[in-house]
Amino acid sequence: MAETLTSRPTIADADAHQASAHIDADTNTGISNTKLGMWLFLASECLLFGGLITTYLLYKHPLEGPTPHEIFDIPFTSTSSFVLLMSSLTMVLAVSAIERGEHQRMRVWIGATAVLGATFIAGQIYEFTVFVREGLGFTTSRFSSAFYTLTGFHGIHVTIGIIMLVSLVLLSLRGKIPEHKAETVEIVGLYWHFVDVVWVVIFAVVYLIPS
Amino acid sequence: MTVTSHDNVPTTVLDGAVKDYSRDKVYVLTAIFLGVVTLVEIATYAFPDFPVWADELVVPVLMILMAVKFFTIVYVFMHLKFDKPILTRIFYMGLVLAVLVYVAMLSTFRIWFHGQHG
Repeated sequence: MAETLTSRPTIADADAHQASAHIDADTNTGISNTKLGMWLFLASECLLFGGLITTYLLYKHPLEGPTPHEIFDIPFTSTSSFVLLMSSLTMVLAVSAIERGEHQRMRVWIGATAVLGATFIAGQIYEFTVFVREGLGFTTSRFSSAFYTLTGFHGIHVTIGIIMLVSLVLLSLRGKIPEHKAETVEIVGLYWHFVDVVWVVIFAVVYLIPS
Repeated sequence: MTVTSHDNVPTTVLDGAVKDYSRDKVYVLTAIFLGVVTLVEIATYAFPDFPVWADELVVPVLMILMAVKFFTIVYVFMHLKFDKPILTRIFYMGLVLAVLVYVAMLSTFRIWFHGQHG
């Protein structure tokens, strides 16, 4: 039994013999605790964003102030959505690059992901500024409060993601992400993709579905 | 072992993979697919009278397109397709719980009956 337990390849073995860290972690599940923890966190985030989307659906018909479809600029938001969608591609290419041990390529893709994320946030700030100018403040109506809370929370998540991406690039430049720690990039990638799928839901439910 | 960006990723380094393939190519094709689905979503706004999503059909059409994008990203980009099933179960646990709780909440507020909620 002891032999069975110790005969499994460890992450250190993987680093020595393989170009990838895709190998069973030395845990009961064969998945590293960090990755398992991230998936549990993402599962709990479904409840957080579910609550915010539900609140928006309940309050989407304002009793006062502008209505959603009077102020939404769908072509602009569609472009932002496309930018965020493409950031998922650059993120997954970064994960793919580090798994092959290509650090420089990984930094380029992560940098591109951060830039695309920052573009999305810049678009969101611009959108909010336009809405406020048109008379839709946070406390204007139940709709505006629900809308800003939902999209604002998502924007904060994207911003945290950008901070994590920049940190990854800095760590990589200092040589602190060797191949056996490639999973760090994958875990940040999981968070980033989740932020993207949440926007997929928000874009359809908030912006595209007619009142 | 040296693996360049043009090489296939071998089966031995892919959890659950059954054959070697160029993952980067799959990712790019997936992104193109997602872009096309997004264009169809935007078309529902730009051409609201198109027969496929005219009138009441637009909501179910948008929900289906949203679900297609959601699960494509989760399975391909987030690697659930290649990872151990326990991760899929964990994620579905949160997702299903959220959907059940909030559908119940929306039902409590009678959101499905136009003009009666609130």
